[in-house]
Amino acid sequence: MNSTLIAFIRKELVQTLRDKKMRALVFVVPVVQMAVFGLALSTEIRNIKLASFVPPGDYAAGRLSEKFMASGWFKPVSFVRGEDPYELIASGRADAVLIPPPEGLERAGERGRGGIQLLVDASNATKARAVENYAKIITAAAYSEKGGAAAPPLKISVRVLYNPAMESAMFLVPGVMSMIVCLITIILTAMSLTREREMGTFETIISAPLEDGEILLGKTIPYIILGLVETGLVITAGFLLFGVPVRGPLWQLALSSLIFVITTVSVGTLISTISRNQQQAMLGGFLFLFPSVLMSGIMFPVENMPGVFIAAAYLDPLMYFVRLLRNIMLKGGNTAVFWQNTGVMALMAAAAGGLAFKRFRQTLN
Amino acid sequence: MFNIHRAYSIARKEVMHILRDPFTLALALGLPVILVAFFGVVIDFEVKNIGMVSADYDNGPAARRLREIFLSSGFFREIPANPGANPIEAVDSGRAAAVLYIPPDFSRDLRGGKPVAAQFVVDGSDNSKGAAILGYLPGIQRAAIKKITGAAPAQGWEIKTRFLYNPELNSRWFTIPGLAVMVIGLLSILLTALTVAREWENGSMEMLLATPVRPLEIMAGKIAPYAAIVLAGVSLIYLVARLGFGVPFAGSHLLFLLACLLFIVAALSQGLLISVLTRQQQVAMQFSMVTGLLPSLLLSGFIFPVESMPVFFRYFTMILAPRWFMEAARGIFLKGAGLAELAVPFAALGSIAFILLAVAVAKFKTDVEP
Repeated sequence: MNSTLIAFIRKELVQTLRDKKMRALVFVVPVVQMAVFGLALSTEIRNIKLASFVPPGDYAAGRLSEKFMASGWFKPVSFVRGEDPYELIASGRADAVLIPPPEGLERAGERGRGGIQLLVDASNATKARAVENYAKIITAAAYSEKGGAAAPPLKISVRVLYNPAMESAMFLVPGVMSMIVCLITIILTAMSLTREREMGTFETIISAPLEDGEILLGKTIPYIILGLVETGLVITAGFLLFGVPVRGPLWQLALSSLIFVITTVSVGTLISTISRNQQQAMLGGFLFLFPSVLMSGIMFPVENMPGVFIAAAYLDPLMYFVRLLRNIMLKGGNTAVFWQNTGVMALMAAAAGGLAFKRFRQTLN
Repeated sequence: MFNIHRAYSIARKEVMHILRDPFTLALALGLPVILVAFFGVVIDFEVKNIGMVSADYDNGPAARRLREIFLSSGFFREIPANPGANPIEAVDSGRAAAVLYIPPDFSRDLRGGKPVAAQFVVDGSDNSKGAAILGYLPGIQRAAIKKITGAAPAQGWEIKTRFLYNPELNSRWFTIPGLAVMVIGLLSILLTALTVAREWENGSMEMLLATPVRPLEIMAGKIAPYAAIVLAGVSLIYLVARLGFGVPFAGSHLLFLLACLLFIVAALSQGLLISVLTRQQQVAMQFSMVTGLLPSLLLSGFIFPVESMPVFFRYFTMILAPRWFMEAARGIFLKGAGLAELAVPFAALGSIAFILLAVAVAKFKTDVEP
């Protein structure tokens, strides 16, 4: 690496980080986003508004309803006796209404008619499904605690690996991390190269005593460095704020991050070669990011998609990186998984980098 | 004073700009299409095809029945274990998301009347999958007890659920109407912020201001075409939801239109405010992403319910228009709620729209009239 190239890289870094808004964008916004994601978003449904229509004198049903409220999933709704349960749901004052059998839960249970009605607002289907599950778990527990049910003759006990408490942060942080790194590197690279062309400063660079490849490296290496710094920052924040571990070896994390960042910077360069102004670069980056985030498995499992889209997901570098991060951070870094996914990503990096270089040369000359 | 003809001329100029710029048009039309394709076709909240390895150390008839029950539930598919390897290896390497362990003597103990337990190991590194699997297990256990031991399920207390408004829990019924929030919230903020900021950046805003056209007319003229585009996007979503996915529409169309208009006003004003404050496309873009995309995708209750958030965020989301629009849209679409039920969301949406519009207009006027 010659000194001109190093000077070029330094100039590029200084230029990018000189702007206060840019510094905030690169270093502060990601950490804030991560904090918001980790704190606010939960895949577990909580605070379900439950109205329980327990008639006075039905102690069994009263205890059951207390169990519901004590579970932490439900919270009571106050209503006037005699109100229409459907009306409570229609007006949004309750998400669910519990109606024990009129003859009293204890007696109905003895006669084998212990059906407890649960009305659930299913205008949000995921939430409705969770409400039903919780209600079944609580009722079964309350019944067997009362001594009503003998131990089942056949049981399926569950063990959850890697994240036994099913904490949302453990699941979301690696995904969000890859998304943030992808977003920032692609958009920064695409826009900075396009800006150079838009402002006409590209001509100045071309007349400098540098090879085409050196110009490309000089323009892209700073963003690769920034992307890696970003990765480190976000991992540290995830660890400090939410205790998300890195159970696998650090070199795996470093190597896969490097290859991923090279891929995204190449994609950013590619976008810059086809856009004429910054706005187009931005929108181009956006149109690339949106599908790749949705197909990556960050929020929705890939296996669940129709065949064509699974095939498309295999072309998504973000999907491999998310897999790698979950594998390294939560599962402790299975070597076969690491080499397979890193290998595919390296191929993508080579292809995108080569293509970007070819297009970049065409636009230079 | 305000002259509709002058505003109209500005609007015509803006429409020409839009038609000449294929990228803006692609974003405006592409975004709703991408969204509908993903949330309608690609994403299913009911997790299926979960890879499962069975580690059957019993090999008896009851163990085979248990495996069949898992596979015939439709949620799981069998993945062969690598011979000689620990079955957990399949989860470590991501080939499977669960392992079913059946201990030796499972069938014999069961025949002998001893209580038996099979163990189900679940990959917890992906919560959306893991939580779904845990939700399926009680049902599978009940089916297994009934089919293998023949014992009647405990005739105790039983929850009988009635799902209102969406009896089959079709997840598309709630995601697709929700897409309207993304289309309005993101598209209108982004488009207005960018185009007005471009006008400032190019210095052509000064030129416009030097003409006899008044600031308010410029604003109205610049915003109207985008309001039309966004409304077209929402109509597209509505048509796809009704015709493509058969989502029922229980409420009043007029009320839905009102909710859309209020939210569009709020979002366009927000975009305008961003552009007046930043006056630079690049910064305007970043601001729009942070204040437009994040709230409508994540904090509106579109995917993650607001009620499950910590207290601070439950109050914080109250100042966000997307949250109220989401509540109104879902209420109108599926529940057929009227103005009486939706008084709070509408009042909130109206106030937010009014405040944003007032601030944007005031800021715009003070900035251009020294």
